[in-house]
Amino acid sequence: MTNQGGWRATAAATGPGDRAAAEEGVRLAYRRAGLAEPERIIWTRSPREAVRTLMAAARPQDPEQDVSDPDVSDPDVSGPDTFGASVRDAVLGAPWARERARLHGELGPHGWSGHWRATGAGLWESTRTLVDRVRAGIVDELAADRATETQVRLLLLDAALGQHDAAWLCAFDSADGSPLDGLAAVARHAGWWWPYEKAAVISERPLTLHRDEAGRLDRGDGPALGYADGFELYAWRGMPVPRDFLDELTRLTPERIRGEENAELRRVMLEFYGYDRYLDESGAVPVHRDETGVLWRVQLVGDEDVVMVEVVNSTPEPDGTSRTYWLRVPPSTRTAREGVAWTFGVGAEAYEPLQQT
Amino acid sequence: MYRQGDVLIVPLAESAVPKIAADVASEPRDGRGRLVLALGEVTGHAHAVVGPGRLVREAGLFGPMLLHVPDGARVVHEEHAAISLPKGWYRVIRQREYVPGSVRIVAD
Repeated sequence: MTNQGGWRATAAATGPGDRAAAEEGVRLAYRRAGLAEPERIIWTRSPREAVRTLMAAARPQDPEQDVSDPDVSDPDVSGPDTFGASVRDAVLGAPWARERARLHGELGPHGWSGHWRATGAGLWESTRTLVDRVRAGIVDELAADRATETQVRLLLLDAALGQHDAAWLCAFDSADGSPLDGLAAVARHAGWWWPYEKAAVISERPLTLHRDEAGRLDRGDGPALGYADGFELYAWRGMPVPRDFLDELTRLTPERIRGEENAELRRVMLEFYGYDRYLDESGAVPVHRDETGVLWRVQLVGDEDVVMVEVVNSTPEPDGTSRTYWLRVPPSTRTAREGVAWTFGVGAEAYEPLQQT
Repeated sequence: MYRQGDVLIVPLAESAVPKIAADVASEPRDGRGRLVLALGEVTGHAHAVVGPGRLVREAGLFGPMLLHVPDGARVVHEEHAAISLPKGWYRVIRQREYVPGSVRIVAD
C-alpha cells in the first residue's frame, strides 16, 4: 500500500507535472484495460477547457459556418466521432472495482473498513469537496441553457480525476506492475482526464491552490483555485464568494459591513476585517469576562447578534506574545466560560482544563 | 481535562467508556508512528500522541474520538507545549465555532 502523506501531497500538487510521464500513464492504463492506446493525447490548461474541447468535438461540423471555439487551444478537434465513445469504465471503473473486490475478499468487511480508514478516508473529504466545487464552477461557466447543462454534466461524469483520485489510489496497490499503475502515474503528474476510444484529453493541474488548515478553499486576496487558462474559484474558508466581493474586502468599513444584507457575505466581511478591529471601531463593549476569556456582543440590524468569545492562546508565540483569537458562539451565550465550553460541546460547569497549552 | 489549542482531552471513567471502543478498530498511526488527534491540512502540523495506546473514532470525520493510553502518554504539537496524560481513557473533542444555520470546526 502507498503512504497517505505522499498521496495527500499529490492531491494538493500545483503547477505542471511531467507530461511525458502522464501520457505514458494514460497509454499504460489503456493497455491494462485491454484497449488499443489512444491515437491522440490532447492537453488542456484546465478541466473547464477540457470540457470545452469535448463539447467542440461533439458538435457536428458545418462547412458553411466557423463553429470553432476560440477558447479551445486545439481547434482541430471538432467533427462527429472524433474521439469515439468514453472508455472510462474500462480504463478506470472496472479495474478499481476488481481491486476493491479483491481487497474486500482478502480483508473481510471489518478489515476493509479499517484499511479504508488507514488509507483513503483521511483524504476523501477534502478532495471530494474540491472536486464538487470544480464541477459546480464548470457548470456555472459553461451551461448557458438546460440542454448545455445536461451535456456539461454528462461530460463531467466521463472524467477521471487524476490527482484528485488520490484517496482511492491511496487505498490500493498502485506500484509499478500493479493493475492501477497507469492510473497512478497520471494522477502523480496531471489533473482531470477523459479517456475516449481514439483520444484522451488531459487537464494540467491548477497553478494555485490555497486552503486553510481544515483543507477548505480559502483566500482573501485572489483566487483560491486557479488554472492557467483563467478558470478560477474564489472562496473564503470554504464558502464560495464572487470575485468582485474579494476586491471589496480590502476597502471595508464598519458601515459597509453593517449595510450588507446577505448574512453569509457579512460573516465573511467580519472575519476578513477582523473581529477585534470591528469591535474596536464599532464601539462594542465586553459583556462578560472571566478566567476563560472575554465575551463580546455586537448588535446587527435585522439579524441575530454576533456573540464571540475572545480567547488567549496559552502557548506564547516565539516572540513571547500570546495570540488572541475570536470564536463565534450562539447568541444565547451569557458568559465567557459558557461560550468557550460550548466550542468544545461541554457544559459551562464541566469545563475545567487542568492544563492548557 | 486538558486543552491543547483547538483540541480538548477529557478523562473518561472506565465504566463510562462507550461499547463502541471495543468494537471499532483503532485509527492508524501516522508515518512517524503517532496517533493523530487532529491534522492541519496545509502546515501538516498535528496534535498527536506519542507512545502506546489506541485511538477510536466515535463519530464523524471531526470526532469526537476515544483515546486509551494504558501507560500514560504525551500529546505533542509543533506550535503548542506538550501535555502529559496520566494513564486511562479520554474523549478527544475538536473545537467548533458557531455559524448561523450550521456549525464548523476550528483549525489552529
